[in-house]
Amino acid sequence: MRVALADDAVLLREGLARLLGEAGFEVVGLAGDADDLLALVERTRPDVAIVDIRMPPTHTDEGLRAAKAIRERWPAIGILVLSQHVNARYALELLGSGTDGVGYLLKERVSDLDELSSSVNRVGEGGSVLDPAVVEELVGRRRQANNPLEHLTEREREVLALMAEGRSNRAIAERLFVTEHTVEKHVKSIFGSLRLPPSPDDHRRVLAVIAYLNSQ
Amino acid sequence: MRPKLVTVAGFGILAGAGAVWLAAHQPPERPTEPGPVLTVLVGASLLGCGLASWRARPENRLGPVMVLTAFAWFAGQLSEAPEAWVYTLGAAIQYWWVLGLIYLLLSFPSGRLPGRLERWLMGAGCSLFVIQLLAMLEGNKSGLRCPTCPSNLLQVVSDNPDARNLLLLERLLGGVLVTVIIVVLARRWWRASPAQRRAVAPVIVAGCITLAALAWTQALDLLGDPLSALPATVWFYTTAAVPIAVMFVFVQRRLARGMVAGLVVELGQPSLAPDLREALARTLGDPSLELAYWFPAEQCYVDGAGQMVKLPNARDGRSSTFVERDGQPIAVLLHDPVLEHNGELVRSVCAAASLALENERLQAELRARLSELQASRARLVEATDAERRRIERDLHDGTQQRLVSIAMSLGLLESKLPDQETATRPLVHEAREALALALQELRELTHGINPPLLTERGLAAALDELCRRAALPAHLQLNLRAEVRLPDQVESAAYFVASEALTNAAKHSHGSEVRVSASHQSGMLTLEVVDDGIGGAAGAGGSGLRGLADRVEALGGRLTVSSPPGRGTNLRAEIPCA
Repeated sequence: MRVALADDAVLLREGLARLLGEAGFEVVGLAGDADDLLALVERTRPDVAIVDIRMPPTHTDEGLRAAKAIRERWPAIGILVLSQHVNARYALELLGSGTDGVGYLLKERVSDLDELSSSVNRVGEGGSVLDPAVVEELVGRRRQANNPLEHLTEREREVLALMAEGRSNRAIAERLFVTEHTVEKHVKSIFGSLRLPPSPDDHRRVLAVIAYLNSQ
Repeated sequence: MRPKLVTVAGFGILAGAGAVWLAAHQPPERPTEPGPVLTVLVGASLLGCGLASWRARPENRLGPVMVLTAFAWFAGQLSEAPEAWVYTLGAAIQYWWVLGLIYLLLSFPSGRLPGRLERWLMGAGCSLFVIQLLAMLEGNKSGLRCPTCPSNLLQVVSDNPDARNLLLLERLLGGVLVTVIIVVLARRWWRASPAQRRAVAPVIVAGCITLAALAWTQALDLLGDPLSALPATVWFYTTAAVPIAVMFVFVQRRLARGMVAGLVVELGQPSLAPDLREALARTLGDPSLELAYWFPAEQCYVDGAGQMVKLPNARDGRSSTFVERDGQPIAVLLHDPVLEHNGELVRSVCAAASLALENERLQAELRARLSELQASRARLVEATDAERRRIERDLHDGTQQRLVSIAMSLGLLESKLPDQETATRPLVHEAREALALALQELRELTHGINPPLLTERGLAAALDELCRRAALPAHLQLNLRAEVRLPDQVESAAYFVASEALTNAAKHSHGSEVRVSASHQSGMLTLEVVDDGIGGAAGAGGSGLRGLADRVEALGGRLTVSSPPGRGTNLRAEIPCA
């Protein structure tokens, strides 16, 4: 899988390139800011673009805007946005336009090689990735009384969080050391409790779950 | 002083009596101007007003000048005498008094000729009388006016046409001179400040009419109607008015001095809180009056608005009078230079107002200190905010990145460890976990120092995020335009107030929910955090809020906490944002 990488901090850019190479990805190019990245993507058409959210010149959300631009022009290219902050709003903005091939991760997650390669692969294959810290913030928010989430079991909430992170039933089953069948049962029950239309597709249900969490 | 004036007055009365006697006893066929009545009127006016001015303002030349003019006027009546030598003397000095009148007008109110032009005009006036003497050397009769006059003893040659021509020249030049003086006076009036006009108006008006009547007389003389009585009569009457006008101005000044008493009464009523500048300007008759107060710490004078005042020098066309109290300077009055001629009034006004000025000075000093303090607080807040942003940026660009980079290296190390390496692997994993925790703590720290969303997306987004993360369910009502960014300090003050209030509500209120509302209307940001808890929050609700109240107040805003027991806590911050 071919990957383009944009980060203004040389230390992290080079480190991440090394990790990606180690994990077996082909790094097609490195960029220091959003304009460089767009030119790089134009030239190399990678499968996935990994973008730091804060880049020059204003050091605010250039990466996010570059990601949106790439999605508009090359919808097939997967995008993984990296951030040093847990910012649910930015994550939701990014995923709001469709969760296919989009991811939002905290920077430090990529130090786990398995986590990194699974995330890049998922995004490259059109799936989605949402950082556990962001999901935790969405799920963990204190809500008003008689909120449907209050009625979920502990295990169901775990499954909900993993769904929101963009994981498939199989991945959830592996993570929780249960069978895929059990996960399916939990998912059905969750969708029932939250009155969401059943959605068998692993990719599309993420959007439903996230939209639900955000609306409460 | 007094005996001298009495002596002068006595001589004046004698001279006047003599002049009247001469005017009343002239032969019937001689011209009758100005006649006994006008002789008394003009003379008495000059003498009386001159003596009064002399007494009231001994330092001013105008009194003596008027008295001298009165004597010259009386002396002019010697030309009515039947004896030839007296008549000749009288005819020679008949109009010298006009010089006194011109000096009076040109030098009023200071008594000194203000410039070269005025001195030159006086010189020109004197030279006219030389022409008159030349005419008398040539002509057989004074001014060729009356066939029945006594002999002109000055006559040396008998050349009547020449004498006549010289007299015509004198009249012509006299008319020109008088016109120029009228123009000078009119120009002076035109350029005068309101205070100056007020001080000189009666004298300038009477003087210009007098000079116009004089010019008229000269013109008729030139046109060959030398004995027409009307213009000369008008001239003499208005001449009598000039000293009266001078007197009027002096009396007015005395009245102004009487107003000082009114000023004292006015300033003595603290409930009315009079506008001190207004009151002083009215009493001094100078609407342009300005006040400045002495600031001992800065060693300078500062006006009511807190601005430093530069003291005028001579070229600025302004004068200053310093006010002291117990030897310490307290204020300065910046006023029209015309008031310098009435120093006594200014001094008494300053004396009467010194206590009020001292009060006003203290208040001005306090106001200046307060605004200085306010500005310094605002600067502190600004500096703190800038520092917060800098620290957050430094942590983000420095420490956080280094730690992430170390985490990456550890990840790489872990991946390169052989699978059978069971001794090292847990250690590396442990290090990564510890690092992840450190990064999380650092993230929370930087978020607390300066929430990135606030900087990047503004108050509305940051408040939304804050409410979503709040420990108690928080309902947010926003009346902010997301695209309009408020000043950084205002946004961060409002954000941290809301943050602190939400934390307090969660910790202490025992309530079930919080309502947060923010609105920006007509230059004022209003933030309200209301919980449904037990209320009874003491004071500003702890040191955290006290610090935030300081911050809000430093921006010119207000933070109020209302927390009646049992009815929840309502915290309201109002911050102006221009």
